[in-house]
Amino acid sequence: MKTFLAALWAETLKMMRSKVPLFTALGFSLAPLMGGLFMIIMKDPERAREMGLLSSKAQLVMDVAEWRTYFGLLAQATAIGGMILFSVITSWVFGREFTDRTAKDLMALPTSREKIVSAKLIVISAWVILLTILIFGIGLAVGALVDIPGWTNDLAAQSFLDVLGTAALTLLLMSPVAYFATMGRDYLPPLGWAILSIFLSQIVAATGWGDWFPWSVPALFSGVVGPRSEQLGMHSYILVLLASLAGLFATFWQWRNADQTK
Amino acid sequence: MSFAIETNGLTKVFGNVVAVDHVDLRVERGEIYGFLGLNGAGKTTTIRALLGMIRPSAGNVKVLDQAVGPHGHGPWGKVGHLVESPSYYPELTVRENLEIARRLHEVADHTATARIIEKLALASYADRRAGTLSTGNVQRLGLARALLHEPELVILDEPANGLDPAGVVEIRELLKSLAEERGVTVFMSSHILTEVDRLATRIGIIHKGKLIEELDTDKLERLRARRLEVRARNLEAAQISLQSAGYKFVMDDSTIMIDDAHAIEHSDDIAQMLVNAGAPPTHLAVRQQELEDHFLQLTGGAK
Repeated sequence: MKTFLAALWAETLKMMRSKVPLFTALGFSLAPLMGGLFMIIMKDPERAREMGLLSSKAQLVMDVAEWRTYFGLLAQATAIGGMILFSVITSWVFGREFTDRTAKDLMALPTSREKIVSAKLIVISAWVILLTILIFGIGLAVGALVDIPGWTNDLAAQSFLDVLGTAALTLLLMSPVAYFATMGRDYLPPLGWAILSIFLSQIVAATGWGDWFPWSVPALFSGVVGPRSEQLGMHSYILVLLASLAGLFATFWQWRNADQTK
Repeated sequence: MSFAIETNGLTKVFGNVVAVDHVDLRVERGEIYGFLGLNGAGKTTTIRALLGMIRPSAGNVKVLDQAVGPHGHGPWGKVGHLVESPSYYPELTVRENLEIARRLHEVADHTATARIIEKLALASYADRRAGTLSTGNVQRLGLARALLHEPELVILDEPANGLDPAGVVEIRELLKSLAEERGVTVFMSSHILTEVDRLATRIGIIHKGKLIEELDTDKLERLRARRLEVRARNLEAAQISLQSAGYKFVMDDSTIMIDDAHAIEHSDDIAQMLVNAGAPPTHLAVRQQELEDHFLQLTGGAK
C-alpha cells in the first residue's frame, strides 16, 4: 500500500507540474461556452438570421433554447470532445515515459510495475472526473448568465448524471489508448488510435449498429441521435466493459512482459 | 559461492540480430567490475537483462542471489542503476525528481534526498527544473538517483558520459569509496578503456555479444605493468649483455621486452650498458598501453 501511495504521489506530481491539466481544461471549457453562444443565438431568432451561417448551424444542433437542450449539448460534447481530450491525457500520462525515456527507471523498483500503471490510471480517472465536473460547473454558470429558460432541479440532477455517465463510458475506453501508448512507446500511436476510433464510431453509428460497437456507445448514451433507451441495450454496456478490460489486460501485460528498450 | 551478479548462458536475440550471445558472468560481492566493449557490443542489452527490463531469449540472470524476472521481480530495493543516458522529468526540479525516486524506492528517511544532492554536488541546482540542466549535471542527477537508496549493488552504464575531467575523477573516487568503505558491488560498462582501467578490480570484455575475455586482478596488473622495449642492430650482443646483468626479458619479434622495475626506472643505465657491450640501442622506450593494445587486439580495433 505504501509503494502504491508513493506511485500515486509521483503520478499526481507529474500531472500537476505539466501543462496538460491547463490545456485540457481550457479545451474542454469551450464546450459550455459554445453551448452558451448557441443559446444566445437561439433565444433571438431574428438576430440569428442576421448572423448567417453560424445561425443555421445552431438551428441544426438544437431547436429550442432551454436547459434541456443545453444539457444535452454538454453531454454530446463530453462524448465527442471527451474522446479526444481524455485520449490526449492518457497518451501523455503513458506515452511521456517513453518519449522522455523515463520508463526504464520505472522497471527495476521495489514499487511494482502494476502499481505504477494503476496509479497512472487513477490519476487519469481523477482528472477526467474533475474535468467533467468543471465543464458542468462552467455550463451552469454560462446557462445562468445567458438566462436560459426551463430550469428544474430534477432536470439539472439528471443531466449531471448523464454528463458524468457519458464521461465514465468514454473513460472506460481509455485503456486501449493506454495500451497503444505503451506498445507504441510514444504519443502518436495512441492519438492515431483515438482518431481512428472516433472515425469508426461515427460510421458504425450511422449504419445503425452503434449499440454493438463500444466506441459508439458514449455518443449514443449522450443522446446525440435520439433517446438513449431506443439506441442502447445492456449488451452495449457489457461490450464497453469488455473493451475496457481487454485494454487494461493488454496494458498491464505490456508493462509486465514486453522488452523495454527505450 | 554467492555472487552479486550471475548469468548463465544469457542470450538475447532481436529478430536476426544476436545482441548477447551465451554470456556467463560472475561478479563477486564488493568487486568493481568493468564491462568493456565497443559501441554496439552488447553492453546495454546485457545491463537491461540484468535489471529485468528485457526478457532473455535463453539463459538466466541472478542478482544478489535472487532470480530476475520474468515479471520485473528482483531485489530492486538493493540495486541502483543508470542505464544509457540518464532520464528525468524535465518539468520537475532536481529535488522533485529525486524525491520521486526516494519514495518509489521505499526509503523512509526523508533526509536521503538532501544528502544525495549534497554528495553529488547538485545543491545549487536542487530547485532548478531538470530540463534546464547541463549534460554533466544531468549525469550527476542520474547517478544521484542510482545511489540515493544506498544500494548494495550499482549497475552503471557509461557512468562518466558527459562529465568534465574533474567530474570523471570525482565520480571515480565516489565509486571507489563505496566499494572500499561500504562493500558496494559496482558493475560499470564503458567503451572507454582508461575509465574502467583506473577503477575496476576485474574487467570483462564483450565483443559482438560474446564475453570474449575476463581479466582478473593479476592479469590486469600484468597488463598494466610498464615494460622497457629495446631494439638494437646487434640483437644477440644486446641479449647476452642483458642476461649477464641479470635482467629477465622476453622477445617480441625483434624487440626485447624487459619487465624489470629497475631497468624501467633506469633506462639510461641500460642504454649505457648496451653501448659498452657493442649493441647500442636503436629504440628504447617505456610502454604503458598494453591493456589498450590487448583490448584492441581482442576486438579487432585499430592499433
